[in-house]
Amino acid sequence: MGKQLSIFVENKPGKINKITGILEKEKINLKAMTIADSGTFGIVKIITDNNRKAFDILKRANFLVSLQDVVVVEIPDKVGAFHKVAKILEDEKINIEDAYGFIIEEGEKAALILKVPETEKVEKILKKQGYKLIENF
Amino acid sequence: MFFEKDKETIPLEKLRALQEEKLRRTLKIASRSEYYKRIFKEYGLKPEIKSIRDIEKFPFTTKEDLRKSYPAGMVAVPFEDLIRMHASSGTTGKSTLVFHTKSDIEDWAILVARGLYAVGVRKTDVFQNMMSYGLFTGGLGLHYGAEKLGALVVPAGSGNTQKQIELLLDLKTTVIHITPSYLFYLGHIIEEEKIPLSRFSLKIAIVGAEPHSEETRRKLEKMFKIKVFNCYGLSEMNGPGVAFECEYQKGLHLWEDHYYAEIIDPETGKVLPEGEEGELVLTTLEREGMPVIRYRTRDITRFIKGRCPCGRTHRRIARMKGRTDDMFIVKGVNIFPSQIETVLMQTPEVDKNYRIIIERYEGMDNLTVEVEIKKECFDGEISHLKAIQERLVASLKDVILVTPEVRLVEPGSLPSSTGKAQRIIDKRRL
Repeated sequence: MGKQLSIFVENKPGKINKITGILEKEKINLKAMTIADSGTFGIVKIITDNNRKAFDILKRANFLVSLQDVVVVEIPDKVGAFHKVAKILEDEKINIEDAYGFIIEEGEKAALILKVPETEKVEKILKKQGYKLIENF
Repeated sequence: MFFEKDKETIPLEKLRALQEEKLRRTLKIASRSEYYKRIFKEYGLKPEIKSIRDIEKFPFTTKEDLRKSYPAGMVAVPFEDLIRMHASSGTTGKSTLVFHTKSDIEDWAILVARGLYAVGVRKTDVFQNMMSYGLFTGGLGLHYGAEKLGALVVPAGSGNTQKQIELLLDLKTTVIHITPSYLFYLGHIIEEEKIPLSRFSLKIAIVGAEPHSEETRRKLEKMFKIKVFNCYGLSEMNGPGVAFECEYQKGLHLWEDHYYAEIIDPETGKVLPEGEEGELVLTTLEREGMPVIRYRTRDITRFIKGRCPCGRTHRRIARMKGRTDDMFIVKGVNIFPSQIETVLMQTPEVDKNYRIIIERYEGMDNLTVEVEIKKECFDGEISHLKAIQERLVASLKDVILVTPEVRLVEPGSLPSSTGKAQRIIDKRRL
């Protein structure tokens, strides 16, 4: 199963910098980041090449951090690839709560990160359709 | 179960007669001090009373008066008869000094011993005093009282948490004296280091020096599985031990054979009918070195009606609601920090540190309450955080009648202290 880190941050300058700084120091590669904002605070969601380690380190650094289940699926880096996945999920009546992604190989491969209510079920569906799932924990 | 049964259960009529007699003596002694000699003359008063209610003819003594008579304008005995000096924390301006004779120190110890006994402390107990020693009265005050009782006193002082834990474990400490915020901190450290509570022998914590709510007490009791008791005092009236809870935890018995207590309207200065909430005003009845007449404590409380099942006749005062100078007015509404604390303590997702910030934008007051979310309650969902935030706003509004802004902040970003925590920041230029 795929994982993402959710980190609580106050909406102030220098807060993201603190997180990226810690990751750099520990030689953890940041793959993707997205921010959900709610006025004075927000949730930073990240995917790294070592989520377990990133989680432990951020926790130790006194961050409010949580590991969440997500679907990380490999898709071709081309027009309509995301749409195909979205269509499959629509047909199954699955609601996508949050989505973002990153390029693995320009013009070749990308990773799509999906936050859905039932991660395992979605993984099964996508697997059946021939998609490759990335376990990143 | 009394330290001084006859004195603690004295019939009320006898207690009032005793107070009258002691007040006469106190006024005589006070009139020998430079300060009261001048005040009595200024007001055309003789140090005499017909009945106890005549005390209302005498003017109040304020913190400012004490400050102005720095260092020793209120001392009423020759300097050689003094054996101890303490000072108030003096957060604003010069600190105020209080001087004691040998018998003052002895009396203070007895009052503290009465209180300690009332909450179940005995000579078999190990008493670790985690308040700071020195000029502050919290350390030495309880120290002498616990010694008077015959407990084994460990003068640990405040801070140095690792050493405190070591002493608690190795000496099998049964009773501690500590500020509520430090007790929370201590609990947090014990939890973090995963030391099982079963390794401690702790039964009782006496907390004071910071106003705190009933919810805070209950939380601390649950956290440590011990009994937590409230103790009240102020350096101008010796220090801790002016009033103490008993086993019933239903208000603090104020030692009326040593203090004459009035509750006044802080605006008008009028004495309020018994049971009404107002500012506590105290007169020392037994002090020789430095008697103080009608001291404005700035603490807000009320007398609790009825007799306490413990049998003590000395009236009880309610847990301090706050201080007249802590009270802040936002959009014309009087608010006490304790009201906000109570709501926060009832919200399980919120950690114990908080901060209240009052600002004014374009003539409009804005009240912000900053809280930390407990680590174990964070699941990464922004909607859950928003729900907690909204719930806090609604429940705070129910209590303080003003809609606050609630700001969730990162863990560890709010001050937690081993001493008195600064929780209110008023940025308005009034």
